[in-house]
This record gives sequence, structure tokens and C-alpha cells, in this order.
Amino acid sequence: MASEAQTLGLSATPTAARAKKLQLLGILSGFTAGAWLGAAEAPTKLVSIGISPIAISLIMVMGVFLARWSLPALILGTSSVRADVRRAPHLIIWAVLAGCLWAVANTLTIFAIRDIGLSIAFPLWNSNSLLGIFWGFLFFNELRQAGWRRWTGVLGGALVMCVGATLLAVASSTQGPAGHSLRGVWAALGAGVLWGTMYIPYRKAYLTGMNPLSFVTFFTFGELGMMSALAIGYTAWGPLWQELSSARGVIFWLLLGGFIWVIGDLFQQYAAKYVGISRGIPLSNSNQLWGLLWGIFVFGELHGRSSSTYAQVIGGSLLMMLGVGAVAFSSASGEEQTRWKEAAQREGRRYGVASDYVEARMDGRQAAGESAPTRTVWDWLLVAAATAVFVVFAAMARVPQLPLHWAPAALLTIALLVLLFVCTLALYRTTRFH
Amino acid sequence: MGAEHPKKTSSSRLRSVLTDVHFWVPVAVLLAGLLLLNFMR
Repeated sequence: MASEAQTLGLSATPTAARAKKLQLLGILSGFTAGAWLGAAEAPTKLVSIGISPIAISLIMVMGVFLARWSLPALILGTSSVRADVRRAPHLIIWAVLAGCLWAVANTLTIFAIRDIGLSIAFPLWNSNSLLGIFWGFLFFNELRQAGWRRWTGVLGGALVMCVGATLLAVASSTQGPAGHSLRGVWAALGAGVLWGTMYIPYRKAYLTGMNPLSFVTFFTFGELGMMSALAIGYTAWGPLWQELSSARGVIFWLLLGGFIWVIGDLFQQYAAKYVGISRGIPLSNSNQLWGLLWGIFVFGELHGRSSSTYAQVIGGSLLMMLGVGAVAFSSASGEEQTRWKEAAQREGRRYGVASDYVEARMDGRQAAGESAPTRTVWDWLLVAAATAVFVVFAAMARVPQLPLHWAPAALLTIALLVLLFVCTLALYRTTRFH
Repeated sequence: MGAEHPKKTSSSRLRSVLTDVHFWVPVAVLLAGLLLLNFMR
């Protein structure tokens, strides 16, 4: 039977070569995710006025919401989202649940930084990748029959990254603990557990065939809904509105931060899909390294600090790179991928999802008989509306008077764009964004 | 993986979600996170 997948030039039968290609694609997506998630911090550094962390989070999540609808509409069209939902409607619940987990974790990090400082809080919540490995192994057959070398690569790599992250966090920390240390530790650990557990719905969705672009459109309802509820609960509607109104000069920068973050998150979703959460999450956790590059070279954050600080930065960066390399070179073997497929079959049986659809999507292609995604006038309207919101706030934005180093900013931006171009092209050629 | 799985109704799908242990782990963690946040305030 000549399927559309075949007309797209994709093999209907998974082969070892294609499996290898998808693994490399997942690793590349993880790297790109780290770079873009790290860069998302840059626009927020331009915000120096005194608005509360909760309001900052809420505005960023609004930018995230706009991006999570407009980017999928632009890339595949919302018809693709609707088709995915018709095939696996139960995944809406999972996506909203994951969004709620993200929002609560993000709010906990605010308290953790306030109470124990970034240097202690970050390594604690960065442990989420270790929890992700645990859930991946326990629930989704990841690292089963992987052999001790891959186990050492993934677990060892994640641990080395945690140590590197600790050094970087200590070096980049500017404030000391402000009391309530035990409370801060609980908040940071709580954020790590919430984020680590958030990857259960991620993997669930991708094992059942959902497209990452569809998953994030529902994820964001949980994210924005929970974040709005927390912001109103903490600040009350009136004062929150007042705070948002007074911050209109900087809203654009925060929305932009949210938008950049979504690009990184989309690549993280593809990494979770093609290399699993046990490998995809540690790879994208390299975002701290990129964030620090922006901080040091563009914003001059460590200028004038002691040589021991620079030693910590260099040591931490090398450890992060070593950990990333170890995880990247531990891609899943054929036996392990067979176990992934068993987990996918189990999910398909449980939720009544067509097996050819699940199999095709795990192989990064459309199922036979599935119509090609198309964009309608509504998609273009959605993209135009989101763009208009950004333009309106950009017109209101104040350009902050900060000493910026433009040459490193240009170099980092070029690096980001090259990674975006290469990874997007690879995703398009290999999977047509499925 | 050749076989088709029987299509499920909305209620049986919901039942499948609610009887899936994978669902209750994130729910329990979310509730614990909300309790922790409440404690933080």
C-alpha cells in the first residue's frame, strides 16, 4: 500500500539505520534545547525594576502561552493538533497535568532562591534529571537491557553534570542565603521532584504517538492556568493588575524570554521523544552552561571576581561538557529500543490507540492513511494575533540602560541561530516534525 | 505491532486514565507540591 509516508520518502519499516538517525536527532535536539533554554534568561536580565518574582513568572508564562500556540500553528497547522487529539484524546489530561507541575515547580524555585540562594538551590532542583532517569527506567523500559556501559554513561554523565552545575551555581551566585535555610532546601528539592515527575506525562505522550507540537499546546493551559491561580492567590487580583500595569515598559522583554524558552522547550520535547527522558533531560540541562556564557560575556556578571571564581566556572563548565558527552555517547541499543516499543504497545492497548499510528510516530513519520497537515486561515490569524501582541508590547518597551557587550552577544546569537537552523532542518528532513 | 486496538469511548478512556498508576504518581506529587507551597507562604 503506497502511504503518504512513502510519498514523503520515509521508510514504512523501521530499520537499524533509521533508529540510529532518530537517536542522533534526539541528541542534537537535546543540545539545541540547552542552548535556547539558556538564552531565555538573557531578556529577563534586562528587567531591573522592582516587580515581584511571581509577576515576572506570570508574564513569562503569558509569552510562553502565545508561543506554544503560534509556533505549532506556523510549523504544522492546528489541523495536525486536532488530528492528534482525535487519536489520543486522553493525552490532554496528561499535558494539562504536566503544565500544572511545571508552574508549581517554577514558583517553588522563587522561594528556594529567596531562602537559600541560587548556589545551593540550583543543584538541588537540578537533581530532576536523576529522577527522570528513575521514572524512565521504572515506567517506560528505558535503560533496560542497556548494558553497564550505557548505564555508566547516562547515570555517571548526569551525576557529573550535577557536580558541574553545583560549581557553576556557586560561582554565579551573587547573594548569600537569607535565612529560612531548611524551608529553602525543601522548596528546591520540591521543585526538583515536581520537574523530574513532569517527565512522566512527556514520555507517556510520545510513547502513544502524540506530536510534541500538539502536546505543548495543551501543556500550556495547565501552565498558564496554574500560574494565574498562584499569582492571584498570592497577590490578589487588584494588586496583581496594578503591578502588571506598572510593569508595561518591561513586559516585552519578559514575553520575549518566554518565547525563546518555548523554542528551547520544543527541542527538549523532541529530545524526550527520540532519546527518552533518561538521556534527553540531562542533555537539555546543559542550559545552565549557556546561561552562564550569556551572563559572563554579555552582561559582564563575574567581572572583577576572584580567580577562584573563574576556576570554579572553568571546572564546572568542563564537568558539564564531560557529562553531556557521556550521555550523548550512550544512545539506546537495539535491545533497549525493543523494550521501548513494548512500553509503547502497552500504552496503545491501554488507551485504545491504533498500533500503526503509535508505531509510525515512534519511527518519526506519519501513519499510513493519515492526511498531511495543512495550515488554514485560522492558523495564520493565530500567528498574526500573537505577533501583534508582541509588536504592541515592543512599542511600549523601554530599552534598559545596561552596559552590554555586543560582540559576544552577536556571536552567541549566531551560534543559537546556527543550532536552530541545523536542528530544524534535521527534524524536517527526518521526521517532517513528527 | 500489526493488530488494531479496539477504539475506546470517552468514559472508558477516562477509566483507563484513572486506573493507571502512572497518572497517580504525578497527581500525588502535584498535591504535595501545592501543600509545600502553602507551607512556604
